[in-house]
Amino acid sequence: MLKKKIQDLMTEPGCATNQAKSASERKKGCGKQLVPGAAAGGCAFDGAKIALQPITDVVHLVHGPIACEGNSWDTRNTGTTGPELYRRGFTTDLSNMDIINGGEKKLYKAIRRVIDKHHPPAVFVYQTCVSALIGDDIVAVCRAATERMGTPVIPVEAPGFVGSKNLGNRLAGEALIDFVIGTREPTDAGPTDINILGEYNVAGEMDLVRDLLARLGIRLRTAITGDARYNDVAAAHTARANMVVCSQALVTLARKMKERWGIPFFEGSFYGISDTSEALRAIAGMLVERGADAVLLTRTETLIAEEEAKTWAAMEPYKARLAGKRVLLYTGGVKSWSVIHALQEMGMEVVGTSVRKSTEADKEKALDRLGGDEDKLVDAIAPKDMYQMFKDGRADIMLSGGRSQFVALKAKTPWLDINQERHHQYAGYDGMLELVRQIDLALSNPIWSQIRKPAPWEIEE
Amino acid sequence: MPQSAAKVKDHISLFQEPEYKELFASKKAQFECRPTDEAVEAQSEYTKTWEYREKNFAREAATINPAKACQPLGAVFAAAGFEGTLPYVHGSQGCVAYFRSHLARHFKEAVPIVADSMTEDAAVFGGLTNIVEGLQNAYALYKPKMIVVSTTCMAEVIGDDLSAFIATAKEKESVPADFPVPFAHTPSFVGSHTTGYDNQIKGILQYFWEREAQLTAKPGSKINIIPGFDGYAVANNREIKRYLDTMGVEYTLIGDVSEVYDTPSDGEYRMYDGGTTIAEARDSINAKATISLQEFCSLKTMELVASKGQQTAAFNYPMGIGATDAFLMKVSELTGKAIPGSIEKERGRLVDAITDSQAWLHGKKFAVFGDPDFTLAMTAFLLEMGCEPTHVLATNGGKDWEAKAKALLASSPFGAEGQVWAGKDLWHLRSLLFTEPTDFIIGSSYGKYLEKDTGIPLIRLTFPIFDRHHHHRFPTFGYQGALRVLVEILDRVFEVADASSDISYDLTR
Repeated sequence: MLKKKIQDLMTEPGCATNQAKSASERKKGCGKQLVPGAAAGGCAFDGAKIALQPITDVVHLVHGPIACEGNSWDTRNTGTTGPELYRRGFTTDLSNMDIINGGEKKLYKAIRRVIDKHHPPAVFVYQTCVSALIGDDIVAVCRAATERMGTPVIPVEAPGFVGSKNLGNRLAGEALIDFVIGTREPTDAGPTDINILGEYNVAGEMDLVRDLLARLGIRLRTAITGDARYNDVAAAHTARANMVVCSQALVTLARKMKERWGIPFFEGSFYGISDTSEALRAIAGMLVERGADAVLLTRTETLIAEEEAKTWAAMEPYKARLAGKRVLLYTGGVKSWSVIHALQEMGMEVVGTSVRKSTEADKEKALDRLGGDEDKLVDAIAPKDMYQMFKDGRADIMLSGGRSQFVALKAKTPWLDINQERHHQYAGYDGMLELVRQIDLALSNPIWSQIRKPAPWEIEE
Repeated sequence: MPQSAAKVKDHISLFQEPEYKELFASKKAQFECRPTDEAVEAQSEYTKTWEYREKNFAREAATINPAKACQPLGAVFAAAGFEGTLPYVHGSQGCVAYFRSHLARHFKEAVPIVADSMTEDAAVFGGLTNIVEGLQNAYALYKPKMIVVSTTCMAEVIGDDLSAFIATAKEKESVPADFPVPFAHTPSFVGSHTTGYDNQIKGILQYFWEREAQLTAKPGSKINIIPGFDGYAVANNREIKRYLDTMGVEYTLIGDVSEVYDTPSDGEYRMYDGGTTIAEARDSINAKATISLQEFCSLKTMELVASKGQQTAAFNYPMGIGATDAFLMKVSELTGKAIPGSIEKERGRLVDAITDSQAWLHGKKFAVFGDPDFTLAMTAFLLEMGCEPTHVLATNGGKDWEAKAKALLASSPFGAEGQVWAGKDLWHLRSLLFTEPTDFIIGSSYGKYLEKDTGIPLIRLTFPIFDRHHHHRFPTFGYQGALRVLVEILDRVFEVADASSDISYDLTR
């Protein structure tokens, strides 16, 4: 069953890349074959966990040995405006005898204990390699637990060995569509309710977005899953529109919500000024199409005009300082293109952007903004090539996630974290201003001139 | 009863008991004759305004919460760094009790100093008798190899002449004629503990170079290092020695307190454990050069050294990248010894650590107070890390220091908004912190009241540190020291981040 599910996910009709493939290629799926012996990213379990972990009021219970939860416990910087329960690490901590005798009973007891103790609105149970290999049927255990205890217990079937982190994101989406979304009918559904999919509230940056939406009179029913409450996710099917932020992770979920409940969706981004404006326009347009008051459109335009003017004005002082600086964007997904425009407006040159986890549409947008220069679109850059690039002085700063930071740092190049471990909010208009400010700070730190020089006694007179 | 013999509460919890709370409340209501809480609050708020700041800075007669100590404190510190040496203070014994407790509270070590306990009759007739008897008793009781004499205000006000008094004492055989008794006049009403340190080191060198015998310098290959008054001397001197040993430099540390203020608990009481031998002190005239690690702790001493034909170089507390570079390169230049790869690696690691953390430090504003050399070094290091030193204050800083500090701030865009406050005290700093606040304060334990008042976190990095233990056992000098200073600052930055918001109470930073 899991196998079929994965096959389905790999042939996503909502995915442009997939549709462009031949039938036989499509059958092979989009999962890249992992290369044994080469460094690789996270596993499917990790992907599923990070996609669901931001639901703040539930227990996330990992059924496996200590490593899976122990190494991932609270390492994602996703914020909450309320419950803290999601930050606790729960695991069945399988040991030798459990592997021999099976871990289902232990899992069941663990579920009972966390429900008795914390009374969460739901429990998410995560399958791992070990529990899958010994044949623990977590779906059955979860079903039995739900029936007997009356609290929804959601099985997340994404053991690490089934594939990549991205696949895990999608399997998390499957768990939501199969067991969560549509299980609660809210009493307050309205004509301007929306969901944002693939937004995880990193560094609490949804505050910036929520505020913009609130000013337009749009209610964010829930993000999936940033700062989410279980009951809001369960009622997500009553929203009138879906915005998909991280398209690769949850586009299938968006498509299925459209098929099942007729919720239209679009892919957009809150990174960058014009992209934020575009996203707000698209949301307003969709809501009006679905019956919201048309005045929303003019209200949106007013807000956009006001915010854009304010933001560009606030960014003006940075222009002189940042003009001519060369940036390497080493990230993926929407961020591969969404911040390019604003950086260019600052007079900065984007010398390259990686499109590792980006869709074809992402790539096109990035290419368009880079003036059609294909050379600047890079897939993964091998660390040694990246190192050389910095050594040769081909970039002044890299914006990337934490894993590649040391390549830049050891090559004496400033680096700014724009992925999940960052601590600044970059979403929306204010977020872009913050990003520019942080780039300026990173570039102008005096340690960079220090690090590029040898020890002073090594300098020949 | 809040207190019972079975479980005696300490003052932290005892005064939280309802009985005591009630007692305090009723004392306040009935006996304190206080203005109303509102009036107190209003006055308190007023002291945070610009208007009050201007009045505060117009203050002439009173110094409130000075960040400095007096000359003899520096003098006895300087004396303690020599072999078998008993610091001896000519004057009133109360002052000496202060020096002993001040140093003991910081170093957590016994601090032997004797006083000749001048009393009223000595004030009238002069302190000669006290010196004669005092030297005799100290010599007989404690059997030192050298007694180093400094003075308190009392002796200075009545004008006691140490040179003549000590000569008389020797004539009267209080101590043997060839027993070394260097001295320095160290009135508290001139300068501060850094001046006293300078005077005493100069006095000791002068004794061996000129008084004991008129020596002529025969320059050799050694260099002298004068560390200066430093609360971190225990670890910093060891760090400096490690560098010099690694480079293969022959050196003499003039006044090395790293042992005497950090003795092991192994059953033996080391009353004297100053690291500079008398022979080394005598021979130090023959050094090729003398390096002072703290310019403002050695102005007069360096004049004496220069007059003997030695090359001289003075630094302002070698902490941070540039300051350590400059020190090592000077040593290398003076001695011809290369800076080895192992030290260069330490430097690289420090730079690496700063790059790892720079985003957390960048643009953070700091108020720095302390001695002139420390504040200069701290300011320079903050600038290197991209921090913004907003207020730099030294109660014992003069015009020269002020000019130097201003030039330092002007050398970096991060110093553009920095202000230098020479001769100002911590009550001035309070006004500054309320009107132009910073993110952090760097200074001594005395900053804790500012921290409580203003809510701005204090980072303790200079003498005296009374309320935290063992900071002085780890160096602040050199690249390793800078790394440690970096960590101290970062720890506070992260603590503040953790404490300020539940939302960003993050595991990973």
